Amino acid sequence: MKNFDQIAEFGQKLMRLKNVEQVLELISDKAKSLVDADRCSIFIVDKEDKILWTKFSDGLGRIVIALDSGVVGDTYSKQKSQIVNEPYDDERFLQNIDKQSGYKTENMITVPIFDSKRNVMGIIQLLNKFRNGFNEADEEVLAFFANYVSGSLELALLQEN
Amino acid sequence: MKYTDTYIKLADFGRELLQKKSLSEGLPHIAKYAKDVILARRCSIYIYNSENDELWTTLADGISKIKLNANKGIVGQTIRTQKPIIVNNAYAHPNFSSAVDKETGYKTNNIITTPIFNSKREIIGVLQLLNKDEGFDEDDVKFMIFFAHYVSGFLELITKYKITKSKNNEKL
Repeated sequence: MKNFDQIAEFGQKLMRLKNVEQVLELISDKAKSLVDADRCSIFIVDKEDKILWTKFSDGLGRIVIALDSGVVGDTYSKQKSQIVNEPYDDERFLQNIDKQSGYKTENMITVPIFDSKRNVMGIIQLLNKFRNGFNEADEEVLAFFANYVSGSLELALLQEN
Repeated sequence: MKYTDTYIKLADFGRELLQKKSLSEGLPHIAKYAKDVILARRCSIYIYNSENDELWTTLADGISKIKLNANKGIVGQTIRTQKPIIVNNAYAHPNFSSAVDKETGYKTNNIITTPIFNSKREIIGVLQLLNKDEGFDEDDVKFMIFFAHYVSGFLELITKYKITKSKNNEKL
């Protein structure tokens, strides 16, 4: 019951927010605490411009990447979560972003967010889980979480346009 | 788009929904909202059990509980095709099953259905509305798809919690 109440309470809070920035920030904070990760970025798909953008990246400002680049881009095209616990050994990993920010990625999980038409509308990316990296239990929790927030996120994006 | 205002107000509905702690509290709330917004006379939310390919609903406005084989009727077709369906002349449709009408004495003129998916993109239910005076159209479908997705998190959370709880009870 405790978990249920926590998620329901979070959901109510989420639905009180008026703009996309606030929605993304609250989702990021909750996602981080769910799996003990250090950073979270939520990438939003822009199909027209074939890019992924994130307004919120814990101090990094705005990042725009091509729709097919990096682990996030691969999550978009495969429509599946990706766990990368050795990023520097993964050819998809964009080392430049670490170089620019000075923040070192130790491990990563990405989870697609589907809209009501079952297209990927965004990707939750979490970095640096304390200790052993991400596992399948994290993936399961985050897949549920991504679906849980997707309605509010879709609504917020719709209202912005 | 005729539902523009509705989308804006949806968050109010969502906040109320998340205060419900069980399917029996939540389902009537969802049904009433869907009916009022789309202006249909009746609403049923069918919960799908993939293990025995059965659907059940605890509410259909006055009918206490209906169980259906998931390969029957328009709801069954929704499960198989995983897509919304509009039927504006129910009795002329080859897949329409009049069994429920016979049982309830309520005559179905037109139907709209949309599947409800969980986070694994499996079908967990079907949202069905009956009898809109002027019939259902594409705008209704669009809103139904959005709405079904919007409530799916609540339904999945409650179903998950219930399953965990009953499993725990079995252990005791």
